[in-house]
Amino acid sequence: MGTMRLEPTRVQAWAVKSAGAIWKAFDAQLVIYALLLAIFGLLMAYTNSAGTPLAAGTTFTRGLVWLALAIVAFAVVAAFDYRWLKTFAWPLYFANIGLLLASLFLGDGVGGVARWVTVFGLQFQFSEIAKILMIVVLANWIASRAPQRMSGPWTIVGAGLLVAPAMILVLMQPDLGTSLVFLAILAGTLFLAGASIRWLGTFAIIGMAAMPFVWNYILRDYQKQRLTSFLDPAADPLGSGYQLVQSRIAVGSGGLFGKGITNGTQNQLDFLPVQTTDFVYAILAEELGFIGGILVLGLFVLLLWRVLLAGWRAEDPFALAFSAGMASMILFQVLVNVGMVIGIMPITGIPLPFVTHGGASLISIAIGLGVLQSINLRQVRPTW
Amino acid sequence: MTAIDLERRSPRERLLPRFVAFGVIVSIVVGALGLRLFQLQVAEGGHYATLADDNRMIIQSTPSARGLIYDRNGVELVKNVPTFTVKMRPADLPFSKREEVVGRLARLLGLESADINEAIDRNPGSRFDLVRIATDVPEATARLIAEEHLVLPGVQVDAEARREYPLGPLVSQLIGYAGPVTAEDLERLRDEGYLTDDTIGKAGVERVYETELRGQYGLEQVERDAAGRKIRVLNEVRPPEAGGSLELSLDVGIQREAEKALKWAIRLAGLKRGVVIVINPQTGEILAMVSLPTYDNNQFARGISAKEYAKLANNPDRPLLNHAISEQFPPGSTYKLVTATGALEDGKIGVNETIMTKAFLTLGRGFRFWEWNRRGWGPLTIYDGFGHSSDTFFYQVAGRLGIDRLAYWAKQFGFGERSGIDLPAEARGTVPSNDWKQEVFGQPIFPGETYQAGIGQGYDTATPIQVLNAYAALANGGKLYRPQIVRRVLNADGTVAREFEPDLIRDLPVSKSVLRTMRLASRRVVNIGHTYNLRDLPIIVAGKSGTAEFGLRDKQGRLPYHSWFAAFVPKEPRPAAGDPKGTRAVARTDSELAVLAFAYDSRTKGNVATEIVKYFIQIHYKVKRDLRNFDLLKRGNFYQGN
Repeated sequence: MGTMRLEPTRVQAWAVKSAGAIWKAFDAQLVIYALLLAIFGLLMAYTNSAGTPLAAGTTFTRGLVWLALAIVAFAVVAAFDYRWLKTFAWPLYFANIGLLLASLFLGDGVGGVARWVTVFGLQFQFSEIAKILMIVVLANWIASRAPQRMSGPWTIVGAGLLVAPAMILVLMQPDLGTSLVFLAILAGTLFLAGASIRWLGTFAIIGMAAMPFVWNYILRDYQKQRLTSFLDPAADPLGSGYQLVQSRIAVGSGGLFGKGITNGTQNQLDFLPVQTTDFVYAILAEELGFIGGILVLGLFVLLLWRVLLAGWRAEDPFALAFSAGMASMILFQVLVNVGMVIGIMPITGIPLPFVTHGGASLISIAIGLGVLQSINLRQVRPTW
Repeated sequence: MTAIDLERRSPRERLLPRFVAFGVIVSIVVGALGLRLFQLQVAEGGHYATLADDNRMIIQSTPSARGLIYDRNGVELVKNVPTFTVKMRPADLPFSKREEVVGRLARLLGLESADINEAIDRNPGSRFDLVRIATDVPEATARLIAEEHLVLPGVQVDAEARREYPLGPLVSQLIGYAGPVTAEDLERLRDEGYLTDDTIGKAGVERVYETELRGQYGLEQVERDAAGRKIRVLNEVRPPEAGGSLELSLDVGIQREAEKALKWAIRLAGLKRGVVIVINPQTGEILAMVSLPTYDNNQFARGISAKEYAKLANNPDRPLLNHAISEQFPPGSTYKLVTATGALEDGKIGVNETIMTKAFLTLGRGFRFWEWNRRGWGPLTIYDGFGHSSDTFFYQVAGRLGIDRLAYWAKQFGFGERSGIDLPAEARGTVPSNDWKQEVFGQPIFPGETYQAGIGQGYDTATPIQVLNAYAALANGGKLYRPQIVRRVLNADGTVAREFEPDLIRDLPVSKSVLRTMRLASRRVVNIGHTYNLRDLPIIVAGKSGTAEFGLRDKQGRLPYHSWFAAFVPKEPRPAAGDPKGTRAVARTDSELAVLAFAYDSRTKGNVATEIVKYFIQIHYKVKRDLRNFDLLKRGNFYQGN
């Protein structure tokens, strides 16, 4: 029982840690990359708050408030011992399902979509925090499985049963994008945490075989249209293809160096809709150019490295699975959001972490990073 | 690898390949995104930069001030007045809200929802082009609509200039009107810079002189946002040039006199339609042209509702039509000018030769051709034959001339071809000939039809302007001019851009003496008493009346008829000492005023057209004595008393 042997060393290490050691264990890089990405987000909020960025209630000032809250959330979560999460995994799971149910019944609709719940006058998208809570629950489940039992199908089936209710509730909002994020978290976590490759492949094939059924009976017409219109946006340039065409123009016209902050014509003249949220990366590419776009992608790569490193270093299956879930989530969201903006992925309402304007997304991810930092602080550095 | 090895390796190490694989996936994902980014931004960046510029920059026309229109004395016939226009960009109006927005707009504007919907649906351009919903909106309403823009998506209020016609119906047939372009106009004119919410001349000189009045629209490059709103002007490609103004040959004073005379007769005789035209025979300039009933062109300039338009369009007396040029009627006895001139010039009759007139002529198997008074006057010369307007005289003259020579002379006088007046929608008229009948009916002309043609009946049709123009050519000594209504085009700064000279169609191939004979014969019409007390006027009038039968016989076997009178007045209109009968005056070719009256379906005892001309001359020359013969305008039939 390898894990059993590791337990005492870990507790021992914790006991001898001094304040300096704690500081040494703190991963400053993780925080720096995240902050830099958040600053890009603020920059985008600034450029979209045309004219009066500093006035109350603009995208920019709201972005500042959310960032401050996110930093507080990060600090608080990092200070707590993440192992408490294992104890509270099941209550958290039911709280999570409860939140999603609440969204479904109390949610404010935008075009028939119940995604936002208004709390204290702030619109909050519970499905964002649900993703983090789901990673916790999933990591707890995987950590509870003995390594030998990982080779069978039941770890995967159990994880799937845990995620399924949340996915279905999100799909009912309807929010296809977020439910796909759940799927990505599920697959990525199981893969990195050591679930059977053979069984993962088997389930993947079963999933693919079910696609025609999902396409015909679960997806709505507008969802199908959004999923396919990226293949040929010119077919309906004023309808579902409009955003794609305009987004491509915004990105392409940015060129190598971009048009400069607040100078993006596609942005400032409103040719590109939802420029602060789903399509924010298009504006970033328009105003900051290829250089800016690559810089952001590079920051995400560095961040993913630090996220995975936190899990790898921790001699704790829960920590490893948690970091795997976080990395899967971030990678999938970057792929789908940026891919959508540059026309190689279908349109889904998935935010770009840190950059897309939105409090729920930013705070949720700050909480996730807080947990990772707490993991860092409570591990013994491996010798290699 | 054995099971024992597996057991011995730490779980960490077992997972390393998976972490490496994940790293590879990250590299592939980010690499793919980066490559695509490179393709869009660096490789194809120039292409997309152009597309982005196309998005935001458009070349837009900037309207020029439309030229004004004046009469020959500088009276303003059209003004550009500032007005509020309500327009809509259909692309900005969500379909689900359309009914609500249109309903609200209809209430605010006092329009029918159906009219607004029609305007939107008939929008000739794309959904992003502006559609004119209402013009000439009162300022208070315009402000209200502008304030309510949040609940009226897609609706905008523009201040622009519209046409106002101070004299309205008095000159609407001539001025016409300028109104919104239609889809069909735009199809033709988009390349010339016409906009979907543009104005175009639709009738009258507004239409004929569209190019001159419109001027040259400017071009500017503007930056716009996604909703098509203009953000700023980037640069002016070409400044607008104001349109030229028109100075008409029309004299509003004479127009009023003509209208007054015609309205008087219409009221008294219960006429449905009538025309008075006054022309200067020396130049072909139109001095007055009245066609009744008419319409108010301001209705169109303000934006006519479908209901109002239907009312005008469905009126059986066709108020939208200029009857002076756009409709053709049998010319009746006025046509005897052609028959007589042709026969004299061809030598078919001598100037002093007499021809026997009687109650009727018989042709073929006893078919009778009646004299209009059913008696005849015995032997008559050309002067008296024309003076009495003897039908039996002219049957014989026409018979001698033959249909083809008659047609030849008619064409010389301008019948059967458009006069070329600078007004739209002119009719051509009909001049029958053997070839013509062969073509239309597949038969040659019968002798009886030649008789009819000789007195302006049968197949003959002509427009009032053709008839008057023939008499103007008689009055000026044989020059057939193209009638013109515009004298000058003026530049915006008042300088003359274009001067219209008299435009000679042809010199009539008629000797001066024959024309002189016909002028004297025209004076004989008056002096002989054929036109009653017209000879008592202190003004020398020479001319010819006509009573043209048309349509179907009534119960008494009588045909309805139109009345004509075409006349000219010598330059010195009052009889000189030694020329009490005015014969010497009309022998000259110095007339500067020829006038024609036409009364459609005039069921009156006498020739109402003659009375109209008489009254016009009384007013125009300020004759003290009133010689109007009210009795002749009573309901009855011209033939009854004779």
